[in-house]
Amino acid sequence: MSLRVDLIEGFRIAVKSLRNYRVRTALTTVGIGIGVATLLAILGITQGLDTSFEKQLASLGSSSVYVSKHPWVQMGNWWEFRNRKRIDLAQVEAVRNQCTLCEAVAPILDEQEDVYFMDQQLAAVEIDGTTGDYLAVSGFETVRGRFLTETDNESRRAVAVIGADVVDTFFKDSDPIGATIRLGTKPFTVVGTLSRKGKILDQSQDLCVIIPFGTFQGYFKGRQSIDIGIKVKSPEELEQAEDQLVGILRRVRQTPPDKPDDFAINKPEQLASTYQQLTGALYGVALGIGFITLLVGGIGIMNIMLVSVRERTREIGVRRALGARKRTIIAQFMLEATVVSAVGGALGTVVGLGGAKVISLVSPLAATVKPLTIVFGVGFAALVGLVFGIWPAARAANLDPVEALRQE
Amino acid sequence: MLIELTDIRREYQVGTEVVHALDGVSLGIARGEWVAIVGQSGSGKTTMMNVIGCLDTPTGGRYVLNGKDVSRMNDDELADIRNKEIGFVFQNFQLLPRETSLANVELPLVYRGLSAKERREKAIAALKKVKLDNRMMHKPTELSGGQRQRVAIARALASEPSLLLADEPTGNLDSATGEEIIRLFEELHGLGHTIVLVTHEPRLAARCPRAVRLSDGKVIGDGPGQDVAWQDRAQPSAHPAEAPVAS
Repeated sequence: MSLRVDLIEGFRIAVKSLRNYRVRTALTTVGIGIGVATLLAILGITQGLDTSFEKQLASLGSSSVYVSKHPWVQMGNWWEFRNRKRIDLAQVEAVRNQCTLCEAVAPILDEQEDVYFMDQQLAAVEIDGTTGDYLAVSGFETVRGRFLTETDNESRRAVAVIGADVVDTFFKDSDPIGATIRLGTKPFTVVGTLSRKGKILDQSQDLCVIIPFGTFQGYFKGRQSIDIGIKVKSPEELEQAEDQLVGILRRVRQTPPDKPDDFAINKPEQLASTYQQLTGALYGVALGIGFITLLVGGIGIMNIMLVSVRERTREIGVRRALGARKRTIIAQFMLEATVVSAVGGALGTVVGLGGAKVISLVSPLAATVKPLTIVFGVGFAALVGLVFGIWPAARAANLDPVEALRQE
Repeated sequence: MLIELTDIRREYQVGTEVVHALDGVSLGIARGEWVAIVGQSGSGKTTMMNVIGCLDTPTGGRYVLNGKDVSRMNDDELADIRNKEIGFVFQNFQLLPRETSLANVELPLVYRGLSAKERREKAIAALKKVKLDNRMMHKPTELSGGQRQRVAIARALASEPSLLLADEPTGNLDSATGEEIIRLFEELHGLGHTIVLVTHEPRLAARCPRAVRLSDGKVIGDGPGQDVAWQDRAQPSAHPAEAPVAS
């Protein structure tokens, strides 16, 4: 008897016995289904987060670094960071003059302030005080009007360039250029609008108003530590540029040679690696849970198959007496286990995809499921069935036909 | 000879003791014969049937079935031999309860690897032989005992085996139904089928042209059914319940 016949007949028997033991099949299926659903939902969220985060990081620009008093991701003694010397304009100037690998250097101060236009309000808008170089550093583009100029800065003009979210809210059907908005109580004239950058970890980068650095210092707290935004000439020279920056800053900040850097050079990649460290462990645990659920489902399958073998001992005896080889019996029971699991896998896929969808609707987590993941889900469930079906199937095949026929 | 048994031995290890279930049995059965194998419980007739049916392999001796030495075959080869050469009829029918008569009869043909169409034709032909072609779509639970046994006989016939091997085929039937089944065997014998029937009922054995009596794993009688069937009447019966009812 050929393997083809083994498989066809095995499949037919499998489907038939699944129909005959509906409740049992349903329960077993649910076990596997939950495993697959968990696994798929987790994979969906993981993939969703990864894709959106990659896009978000790309929007920060790969050839820009930001020098700050604090690292973006703080680990260690908070007081040590807090007591660091602030970064002032003299240091910005030193960088601008001495950094040969830097293309653009912009001092950045920021504040959150409510912004008004006519009778409309936008709460907690990011206000950045900076210079014309910021455009190159940030990767923004001017859509309408112009960006800030050196004159704006020196004359401390009350002019503003506004982000896409601000445009959307205030200027749906009017021209923003020349309009007067208020940052808190202070009036500013809009001179330009910025291109859209999107969100990073659900925080919009487009809810911002950019004003001249000098103006910012006059209007808001001017004594805070300055961040220096730097665009290097070529991304390949990023590391050399960093070394150069460290040298310049240590000199101008008079950091003792035996002390570590008392400032931080922040890079979007850093954010990525930190993100991966943080989430990697989380995904690991979540995937582990998914696999354990599947394992439990698999043990459920094995249990049911063992019961099934015991119940059908006589049937196995009859089949053996009528000429079924061991291989045929093995195929029959392994196919049965595989079919139950695959059905569970399919159900779990539907539930898992639904779950991922719900999660992406009610939470900021974006869940996307690639088609390959679905194949993986069903295939993996079938594999679980196959693996956990081996032992019961082997037990069935190794029954002595004489003994099996005698079973009541 | 269809069946040639030469000095067949079958030993079992029970604890520290070795039990000789078959202790040097030699026997030949020709094509077309109808032979009853009789004996009391423990005489070795069940082991005999398992060996003849290739469900069990002898520990010693030689068994040639239809020209093939089956005593040294491996598990897969024996499965194929059972499929091609032997049609089993069991005492408790051994039908698959959730399958229809037709599907039950088709089963050995599935393992033969026949196409669905061929299986169906042969199965229907076999069911016609036992006059159950009007119950093809019934499941065993919807059939009477006699009908079930006829389905089982049809299943045994379907694969056109060289040997029909029946184990107490009337054991679970009332006497009228049992008679019906015996008549069916007589009919099949008339058609040229070779039948080996294992039983402890002298009345049944007496109707077979030839009977072989086993005791303690040895052949102690071989001759016409009427003669051998009642051979143990001389001895005090260990099983009064098996004594024939005077009619």
